[in-house]
Amino acid sequence: MAELIALYVCGLIALFAAVRTVVEPDPYRKLPYLNVMNFAVAGLIVLVLVHPLSILAAAAYFVGSTLEANAIASARAAVMGDD
Amino acid sequence: MIEFLQIVLAVIVILGAVATAWSRDPFNKLICLGVLIGGVFPFIIAGGYLDVAVAVALIAPITTIFVLAITGRNGDGA
Amino acid sequence: MLADYIQIPIAAALCWILFVTVDIVFRLPEKGGVKGAAAIGRKIGEDGGALPGGTMMGNIVSSPDASAGTLLAACGVYVAGLPGGLAAAAIVFIGNRICHDPGYAGTTGAVLASFLVSGFVVLGFAPENFIAGMVIAILTIQGLSHPYASRLLARIWGWRS
Repeated sequence: MAELIALYVCGLIALFAAVRTVVEPDPYRKLPYLNVMNFAVAGLIVLVLVHPLSILAAAAYFVGSTLEANAIASARAAVMGDD
Repeated sequence: MIEFLQIVLAVIVILGAVATAWSRDPFNKLICLGVLIGGVFPFIIAGGYLDVAVAVALIAPITTIFVLAITGRNGDGA
Repeated sequence: MLADYIQIPIAAALCWILFVTVDIVFRLPEKGGVKGAAAIGRKIGEDGGALPGGTMMGNIVSSPDASAGTLLAACGVYVAGLPGGLAAAAIVFIGNRICHDPGYAGTTGAVLASFLVSGFVVLGFAPENFIAGMVIAILTIQGLSHPYASRLLARIWGWRS
């Protein structure tokens, strides 16, 4: 694993997005920031370990995080009465 | 894994953990747990445990969905 | 070949154009594909954004759309060239089915991105710069300013409809 600039870019964006996720007060608006962090982590997965199964791990992580974000948003919409 | 990445991911994990502890709203807590898991995940990959990683990647969201099913029924507020 | 710090912005612009175009063609800003997307869209609309743009951003969060497809395709090409990208597209297709996604924006974006990235690799680009570029592209839409991005997306949506 070489010193790719792409690693630094994805790492910094992951950190930036994580900070914004945590700082944002409204849960609905946290979710797009969390989504950015998930993108960055999925990219990091493949950049850290270059192996065909990494694609599967990155895809599983990304689809899982998408399902999770959708579950949170739908559950909150149902509980809060569609806001 | 290069040191820069180790530090950045560790900061993300700590951020997620502290934010989860501090939030009041249950949905906020779940989202911050997602941040924490996102920070831990590349460490699992870098250790070479790809099959473990795929399993965790599928189990963690299912856990969230279970938690939502358990707590969401009580009509929680903000 | 071009230096990395020149390649990455070019790759980011290409990824941005690709995934926004595919998502708009698949009518993502029209309505929420799943319930969570509509809720996010409404909230962004209330806070000073535009509802169609917010709905598209909600759809990006809640289902594997062209942005996810482009990222995973770039990862696939990085690991294993064009076959890797198409394998990633197949995985995105399965993900689209798992998430009960009504459209196939993700799979389409993944297939197109596989060819795009492979083509630019032939021209001398490094595929990892497309991974970084896609992350930058999604940051500009979902990670900087929701009202501004949603209004921009709504304006582009206006051109289509």
